[in-house]
Amino acid sequence: MDVKSLIDKIFQKGREKGLSDMEVYYASGTSLSLKVFQKDLDTYNLSESEGLSLRGTYKGKMGYSYTEKADEASIEQLVRDVKENATITDSEDEEVIFEGSKEYKRVNNFNPDLSEIGEEEKIEFVKELEEEAFKADERIASVQACVYGDGMGEIVLSNTKGLFLEDKSNIAYTYISVVAKEGEDIKTGLAYRTGNDFSKFKAKEIAREAVEEALALLGASPVKSGDYKVIIRNSAAADLLEAFTGIFSAEAVQKNLSLLKGKLNEKIASSVFTLVDDPYMEGGLASRSFDGEGVACKYKKVVDKGVLKTYLHNLKTAKKDGVETTGNAGKGSYKSSIGISPSNFYVEKGERDLNQMMADIDKGILITELQGLHSGLNSISGDFSLAALGFLIEGGKISRPVDQITVAGNYFEMLKDIEETGSDLKFGLPGGAYIGSPSLRIKKLSIAGE
Amino acid sequence: MVKYSYLRKRSDSLLNKSLIEDTLTAALSTGGDFAEIFVEDRTNNGIVMIGGKVESTVSGRDYGVGIRIFKGFNSVYAYTNKSDRETLIDTAKKAAKALTGKNLNLTINLTKADVKNINPIRIDPSGVEKTKKVQVMKKAYDTAFNYDELITQVTVSYTDYTQNIMVANSEGLWKEDTRVRSRLGISSVASKNGEMQSGFFGPGASRGYEFFEDLDIDYYAKEASRIALTMVNAKYSPGGRMPVIIDNGFGGVIFHEACGHGLEATSVAKGLSVFAGKIGQQIASPLVTAIDDGSIPNQWGSYTIDDEGTQSQRNVLIDKGILKGYMVDKLNGRRMNMDVTGSSRRQSYRFPPTSRMSNTFIDKGNLTPEEIIANTERGLYARYMGGGSVNPSTGEFNFAVMEGYIIEKGKIKEPVRGATLIGKGTEVLNKIDMVGNNLDQGQGMCGSVSGSIPANVGQPMIRVSELTVGGREGGL
Repeated sequence: MDVKSLIDKIFQKGREKGLSDMEVYYASGTSLSLKVFQKDLDTYNLSESEGLSLRGTYKGKMGYSYTEKADEASIEQLVRDVKENATITDSEDEEVIFEGSKEYKRVNNFNPDLSEIGEEEKIEFVKELEEEAFKADERIASVQACVYGDGMGEIVLSNTKGLFLEDKSNIAYTYISVVAKEGEDIKTGLAYRTGNDFSKFKAKEIAREAVEEALALLGASPVKSGDYKVIIRNSAAADLLEAFTGIFSAEAVQKNLSLLKGKLNEKIASSVFTLVDDPYMEGGLASRSFDGEGVACKYKKVVDKGVLKTYLHNLKTAKKDGVETTGNAGKGSYKSSIGISPSNFYVEKGERDLNQMMADIDKGILITELQGLHSGLNSISGDFSLAALGFLIEGGKISRPVDQITVAGNYFEMLKDIEETGSDLKFGLPGGAYIGSPSLRIKKLSIAGE
Repeated sequence: MVKYSYLRKRSDSLLNKSLIEDTLTAALSTGGDFAEIFVEDRTNNGIVMIGGKVESTVSGRDYGVGIRIFKGFNSVYAYTNKSDRETLIDTAKKAAKALTGKNLNLTINLTKADVKNINPIRIDPSGVEKTKKVQVMKKAYDTAFNYDELITQVTVSYTDYTQNIMVANSEGLWKEDTRVRSRLGISSVASKNGEMQSGFFGPGASRGYEFFEDLDIDYYAKEASRIALTMVNAKYSPGGRMPVIIDNGFGGVIFHEACGHGLEATSVAKGLSVFAGKIGQQIASPLVTAIDDGSIPNQWGSYTIDDEGTQSQRNVLIDKGILKGYMVDKLNGRRMNMDVTGSSRRQSYRFPPTSRMSNTFIDKGNLTPEEIIANTERGLYARYMGGGSVNPSTGEFNFAVMEGYIIEKGKIKEPVRGATLIGKGTEVLNKIDMVGNNLDQGQGMCGSVSGSIPANVGQPMIRVSELTVGGREGGL
C-alpha cells in the first residue's frame, strides 16, 4: 500500500469512529553505520524503517497514537487510541490541526551525491580514519570508537484540512574517540563531522584533531578552588546552550517552568549576546521549510543584543499568548506529541579568535569540555555544577592542562556576565535542533578543584 | 477492570518456525558462524499531567525485527519493521553481504523452550481504563501541589508498557518473553524570590497496574515537594575536597557510574576499561561487595531472559574488594573467552544488544546510618542523588546531588544546593571507608551504546573519605 492510500484509509476509519480533524505524520528511512576496531570492520549495521502517527480531535480535544506496523488491526487500534487519549485530555489550551501557510520557502536537505558513494569507499574511509589516529602519535594507546554512518529520511505530513507536505533529507556523520596514554595518565579525545557532503570528510584532519585533543590534556591536574575568569570554548558553550534551550520555550514559560517568564523586551543577557533561530541557514543541519504542525518556518532573533525579543512558539502557545506562531512546533519523531523546538539555533559570533580572547587574561580557565550535562544542571533554576576539562590561562596564554575540576554558576546570571563572544562559531551534533556557539568569555565562575 | 492471570501474547506476530529457520539460513549464507533473530512487539502508554491537567497522552505500538550475524569477532546487524517472508529473507541476505566467506552449512534445529516469567503480573495495564490511570496521577498531583504554598508547579508522568519479544538463533535457541513495566514520575517546583528549585521522585517496577494500586503515592509526592522546598531555601554548596556521605537507594548511582560501566564487557573486551585484566585483584575497599542481579522478581531492572535469550542471574562483581567478574554478552564473550552472564540488553529492535547493568548495588554492611553520620567531623551529606555519567577509558565520573546537607561535628546541619561529585572510579572505590546496613534500591534509565534501558541502582548509606565536591562557595 502506498503512503497516500494508507493515509486515506486511516482518515476514513477515523471519520467512521467520530474523529473530526485528523493529521498523519509518516516517517521512513534507511541507515548504515560502520565501525572499525584494529583495522577490522567489526560492526556493520543497516536498517530500513517506517512508522506513522495519527493525531485527531474528538469532542474538541486532541489525542495521539502511533504504530510501526501498518496492518488492518493496527489502524483500528490507532483510531481507538486517539479517541481514548483525546477523551482523558483536559488541558484548557486548544490544540488545532493547521490548514497550511500561504507560502513555503524551499529547503534543500537532500544531496543526491551522497547516495552515489559506494560502500567500499566508506569502509576505506573509516579504516583510514583509525589508521591516521595511530600514525599521528605513539602515545595513542587505543581507539575507543571509530565510526562512519549515513542515513536517508522522508516525512509526509497530511491532514484533513487539505495540507500535504513532504520532506526528504540525508546526512552522513563520522566520529573518532582516541585514548592517549603516558605512564599512568590516560586521556581521551573526540572529533566528529556531520553533513551531507562526503567529500568534506578528511580522515587525516579529523583523526589529528581527536589526537591533539587527547594529547593536550596529558599531565592535567586540578587547580585551586575559587572564582576564576573563564572562557568556555565554542563546542562546550554550544553544549551548555543546548541543555538550556528549554528556557526559551513558550510552553515552559506558560507552565511556570521557565525563569524567563515576564521578561519579554527586557535585558536578560549582556549586550554582546544575540541568539538566532534560522531555519534557512546555509549548511544548517536542522534546516526546514515547515515545522511539526506544518507551519512555514521563519528567521528570528530570540535575543537581540541582550534583550529577549520572543519565546519559541507553536500554534497552541501562540494562541494562548495572543501572538503569531514562530514556526517552532517540534515533532521529535512520530512517537512524540507536538512540543517546541528550535531549528538552527546559535549565538552570533564576535570579532576576535580564541587566542586574542585569552591575550588579556592574567589568570583564568579555558573550559574545553563539560560533562554530566544531563544531570549536573537544573534548567528550571539555571544552576549548574559540571565536571570540566580544559586549561589554565596565565599571562594571556595557556600554561597547563586541567582536569578533575567542576565549574559552577547560574545560567541566567552567566548570560549577563558574558564579556565577549569569539569569532569561532561552532555547531554541536545535530538532533532535533542544530545548536551552535562561539567561545564565550565569562566575567566569573566558581571552580572547585584542590 | 479486566484481570488476567497470564498476559495475552501476540504470538501471531512473533513469527513461525520455518520462517525463522529460513531467515537464519539466509543470514549464514556468506560464512557467518552464528545468526540470531529478535522480534519485538511492544505497546506503550504515556500520559503527562501538568498543573493538574492531562496535557498529552501518547500510546502506540513498536514493532520490528532485528537480525544479527557473527563471524569470529565481527558482527552485522540489520533491522526492519516488516515481518513478511520476502522482507525478512531479503534483509538477512543484505546483512550477510557485509561478510565474505564460504557458507559453513550449519544445521539449525530450533526447539521452543518454556520460559517461566520471574516477574509475575496481576493486572495487565493494557486492560485498565485510562481514566483510572489519570486518577492515580491526580492523586499524586494534589498531594505534591498542596504540600506547601511555595510549590508552584507539579508535573506528573505515567508510563506503562508491555514488551513481547522472541529470540531465536542458529544454535537452536528459541524463546519468547513478556516484560511489563510501570512507572510514575513526580516533579515538583518550588519558587521563592524569583528563584526556582525542583525535586523529583520516580518509582517504577517490573509489575502491572497493581504497582500503582500498591504504591504509597502520598509518600513519593510529598518527598518530591519536600526536596524542592528544602532546596529553594538552601544556600549554595561549598566546593573542594571533603568527606562525603551518600545515602541509600538511588545513591547507588555512584557505583553505577564510577565502576559499573567499566565492568561491562562492552568496554572490557577491547581493553578500553580501567578494570580490564584485573580479575582477582583488589580494586576496592574490603568493605565493598557489589552485585548485579537481573533475576530479582519484579524489580525495575529485572528480566526473565536477556535480549540474547539467556536466563538472568545474580553476578557478584566485587567480593570484599576483589574483582570477581564482568557483565558479559555473547559477542564480547568471544573476544574475552568468557561465558555469558545474562546481561545482554537493548532499548529495542533498533539496537544490537550488548552487556549492560540490570539491578546493580553495593551490598549492605554493619553500621547504622546514625553511626556513620555521628563519626563524621565535617563533610557533605547527599540524601538524594540526581544522575551522572562516566568516561570508562579514564574512569572519570560526575554526578549531581539533588538534596544535600552540611555535616558538622557528627550532625546534619543546613541544606545546600547545586553540589556535584566528581572523581575517578578506581580512587573512589578504595576510599569507601564506612558501609551502612540500610540497603535499598532506586529506579533510573541508563543510556549507553545499546540505547536507554530501565536499571536499578542501589546501596546502603556509604561514606567516601574524600571526594571533590563542585559547588559555588569556598571550602568547608
